[in-house]
Amino acid sequence: MTFLLYSLAVLTGAVFLMALTARFRRISGNIFLFSLVMASVLGLFSAISVLVSRAPVDYHLNFRMPLGEFFIGLDSLSAFFLLAITVLFFLAGIYGYAYLKDDHKRNLSVHFVFYHLLFISLILVVAAKNAVVFLMAWEMMTISSYFLITFYHEQKSVRDAGYLYLIAAHAGTFCLWVMFLLMGQHAGSLNFDQMSMSAFPDTLTGLLFVLGVIGFGVKAGFIPLHIWLPHAHPAAPSHVSAVLSGVMIKMGIYGLMRLILIIKIFPEWCAVLLLLIGIISGVGGVLYALGQHEIKKLLAYHSIENIGIIALGMGIGLWGQLYHNEFVALIGYAGALLHVFNHAIFKGLLFLSAGSVIRSTHTGEIDRLGGLLKYLPWTGHLFLIGAISICGLPLFNGFVSEWLVFRALFEGMFHFKMNAIVFSGAGIIALALIGGLAAACFTKAFGAIFLGNSRSIDNSHLKENPWEMCAPMAVLAGICVWVGLFPFTMVSFALGAASSIYPIKTSPIAAGTIISPLLMVVVVLLILIMAIAVLTLLKRISMKFLAIEKSLTWGCGYSHPTNRMQYTASSFADSILRIFRTVMGYSVAKGSSHVVEVCEEFIFRPVFQVIKFLSAKLKIIQCGYTQWYLLYIFVFLLFLLIWKMV
Amino acid sequence: MVFTVYFCFPSVFVNLEDGLDKMGIPVLLHLGVVLVLSPLLLGIIGKTKACLTGRIGAPLLQPYYDIGKLFRKGNVYSTTTTWIFQAAPIVCLAAVLVSSLLMPLGGLKAPIVFWGDILLFAGLYGLARFAMVLAALDTGSSFEGMGASREATFSCLTEVVLFLDFIILSCVSKKIVLSEMVQGNALTSWHLAGPALILMGVSYFLVLLAENARIPVDDPATHLELTMVHEVMVLDHSGWDLAYILYGSAIKLFVLGSLLVNILIPSYHLSPFMQTMMFSGGMFVLSFGIGVVESCMARLRLNRIPQLLIGAFVLALVGVLVVLLKGA
Amino acid sequence: MWLEVVLIIIVFLSVAILGNSRLKTIIQLFALQSVVLSTTPLLIYPSFHAIIIAIVIAILKGVLMPVLLFWAIRHVSIRREVQPLIGYATTLLLGGVLIGVAFLISSKLDLPDKGISNLLVPCAFSVIMIGFLLLVSRFKAITQIIGYLVMENGIFLFALLLLEKTPLLVEMGILLDIFVGVLVMGIVVNHINQEFGSASTINLINLRE
Repeated sequence: MTFLLYSLAVLTGAVFLMALTARFRRISGNIFLFSLVMASVLGLFSAISVLVSRAPVDYHLNFRMPLGEFFIGLDSLSAFFLLAITVLFFLAGIYGYAYLKDDHKRNLSVHFVFYHLLFISLILVVAAKNAVVFLMAWEMMTISSYFLITFYHEQKSVRDAGYLYLIAAHAGTFCLWVMFLLMGQHAGSLNFDQMSMSAFPDTLTGLLFVLGVIGFGVKAGFIPLHIWLPHAHPAAPSHVSAVLSGVMIKMGIYGLMRLILIIKIFPEWCAVLLLLIGIISGVGGVLYALGQHEIKKLLAYHSIENIGIIALGMGIGLWGQLYHNEFVALIGYAGALLHVFNHAIFKGLLFLSAGSVIRSTHTGEIDRLGGLLKYLPWTGHLFLIGAISICGLPLFNGFVSEWLVFRALFEGMFHFKMNAIVFSGAGIIALALIGGLAAACFTKAFGAIFLGNSRSIDNSHLKENPWEMCAPMAVLAGICVWVGLFPFTMVSFALGAASSIYPIKTSPIAAGTIISPLLMVVVVLLILIMAIAVLTLLKRISMKFLAIEKSLTWGCGYSHPTNRMQYTASSFADSILRIFRTVMGYSVAKGSSHVVEVCEEFIFRPVFQVIKFLSAKLKIIQCGYTQWYLLYIFVFLLFLLIWKMV
Repeated sequence: MVFTVYFCFPSVFVNLEDGLDKMGIPVLLHLGVVLVLSPLLLGIIGKTKACLTGRIGAPLLQPYYDIGKLFRKGNVYSTTTTWIFQAAPIVCLAAVLVSSLLMPLGGLKAPIVFWGDILLFAGLYGLARFAMVLAALDTGSSFEGMGASREATFSCLTEVVLFLDFIILSCVSKKIVLSEMVQGNALTSWHLAGPALILMGVSYFLVLLAENARIPVDDPATHLELTMVHEVMVLDHSGWDLAYILYGSAIKLFVLGSLLVNILIPSYHLSPFMQTMMFSGGMFVLSFGIGVVESCMARLRLNRIPQLLIGAFVLALVGVLVVLLKGA
Repeated sequence: MWLEVVLIIIVFLSVAILGNSRLKTIIQLFALQSVVLSTTPLLIYPSFHAIIIAIVIAILKGVLMPVLLFWAIRHVSIRREVQPLIGYATTLLLGGVLIGVAFLISSKLDLPDKGISNLLVPCAFSVIMIGFLLLVSRFKAITQIIGYLVMENGIFLFALLLLEKTPLLVEMGILLDIFVGVLVMGIVVNHINQEFGSASTINLINLRE
């Protein structure tokens, strides 16, 4: 615990120092780097110590805050999230420092101040053991991320994205306030420990769950509450997008898990709701991603898809908890938690490499790029590792977490009653569809950006980005490979965190049945690597004796093929989108394709038009005469007096 | 609860050492059988098509001669391509070979059996497909891009149908281990779940035709861009790369077909020798059947293929409903 | 067990009819389905009553009606179906959903199937629903007739539950009704084609005021 307090202290001190030295770029930049390294290392130590020892720690501070006290602590669930937070913030911070180093017009130290504030607020959100600390940290998180998103504030689209994000986040926070106040009123105190000991009536738990889903779902990005995500992520600079997509939206997931931990018994429809949200977000997110032309918007929609997968795991885990089937609950939650960590890692990697591409080529439009693998080798190969991981293919970490979620769904199919079987089956089908579509989307993205020839820009002058930007990406890719080939550490951490949500006493045999198939998976993957090595060796040996020629790609009969004749990313995705065109409003016009964002166009825009219409009607109150305003005050006071008398 | 935490290399390899001693010989035997027998399937299909159209056709062992000829040729590489183009056939062949280790072949049991191995099975084929699509996009040609796009589209749908079939099998056999799903108590399964297994068989046969680029989904003998899917993806490969790809597609047909044969031929209770005989007979009948289907039908229009796969999806869905009705 | 296999084959054939676009194939699949259907009375209650019904159905629905429909097609020389109202893929998916609904309804209903397999009622419902879907979603008159006939097949499956109780005469009467109905429909299709130059029922909307 002391490590965590030290890291918080370091970060707060750095915030003040950087605010003071805002005019001196080099000093504030060095303070940023130094404090980032120290705080991250300290946070990492405290997270790992709690995860390994599996003993929760906490800390009280006795200064009076309105409505509560400053009470923070770490249990396994918080420590697991803290692990993801510290790793990603550390690497994205170093990348961000190098990414923004050449930008001389803007005041970078203000940006770094808000970066540290976001770091502090995220640590406090996962460490809070009191609703007041939680909500204050939540609010600080919203505000500091708003300032981070609107870094390029001179562009109107960035400002609009920031407004939308702020409004959406506060709408969610409103629901959270109501939820926590209801819980606190019923339990008599706002501390999480005392709340988890009181029993909540059935109707109240249903209402609290719905409020939690809305409030945390806005932050997490469940469809249909996700409309701020595809605007905010592309608007922000790349390291901020990585942090936003990697850990900030997971705070919504953390909140939901904390809610489930506190209120242990829910009506059954809550699990159905989570499963349905998971299916719709997962499939909808990846379908929308297929229709995007810009790399960061594509990655933002993929975040929505992965949140859907996490919600699937949580839904089946919750169902297992309600049926008192410990095995399913444990694996479901562990799969969801491991996917939280994995997604933070590979989505961070993908956003950072997309940032490298944008920095080198000054455009994010996929259909204008091409052939970058030869000129930006580090960026390209690391993007490839991230792409294979996110598709859930073997050898990398996405496969392990999807394997756990699949396992929970299959076990659910065997052991449960009829309607659980239907939903588990639907979950398995949705997960299979998501896997196929994600593979299509990332072959499209990687192939269009890095392979083939360049479609419009001239590649020959491009150089690889500096090592400070490539090193964090390489570390993230290394973690992907590590968890993919030797997943045992992270899986046991995830199981430890899951068992804190649903405390059970499992025998070591049951624990073994989760880990031992993973051991066989690793064996098969090692055999695969050996087979690849053998085949490559055979080919290399024979190539020495056979002729190899180099030539141009066959031009299909054209005598002068140009680079514009290549298949573009939009044409690649066209076949799949045609199958799903009724769901997505897909249309092709004037040589480019267009996808309609259904929730925004048909749900939220009409609602906001109605609100705008009603507010316009109310404008007559504001007439401009101060005498009228004074009259309003007088009339209201009169009304209060009369009311008191009656 | 006590979990063992494997942090670094040595402890993992200690477990692997004695594992490999037990597994080494069966693994190599399994791989050897698959490598030797799979091109024979292509030969049988070709011979069947020839006989049905009144020709004598190429000899039965022609695929072996083709692969051997390709191994003796050099390569031509395009200047647009990167190492991915050369690595993809290797990854494809390796993934397909390793996936065969999870599949029992008649009397020959699968060397690697563990809970949830169907997920790894599907994942390996996904990896192979990912590599091939990237290699196609690497050439920077519109031909290969078109094939890659079509391949990606059809594979989304076949993956869903494949998982539905796995759901049917696992509900019937109450397990998620590939060997036990396809072989355990097969005779009694037919009594209990005959209708569901028929539906599963039909939809899986359609998936088999789609995944292996057979008519009515794709024509393996044509070279017109209007009609190609898999053939156009490998248009630029030559020499050893093409040999690996050809071998990979033969093994894929063998492994995916053996799943169907294992389910349709209930021979669990017989001796291993009889099982292997019946398995070989079943594979022969399967390749003959594929040859008959290829000779009797034409390739479907491209926009009808998703409809065919959705039809397979609906059949598998009905199968799941039947299984649930019976089990509930 | 064979009864269940036969029932599943009937449902499979109706899904195949749903996804097909060539009129000749649709009629052939329907003929096959009727022949398979004719074996079901023999599997449930092997008796003299059942044999007669089986033979009559096989001849009437498996041979005579398809011949009638082939004659109708040849006269109006149509070969292919136009796109259905909602597209083939959506029609197939909708068919799957309707089969699911059929299974759901039949598990909630409490019909006396007295030891005949519990797949009978769901399959009967599914075939009725697919027949109805064919009737509603297609444009060409011939396909709509086939849809009506598939629905009749499904209703026949339902009637199998009461096979022992229904007199032979009632069964024959129903079959005669259907035969005459198809004859009239064939003639009407011929006249539609003569009047409008095509056998698509979409032209019938010209009849409204």
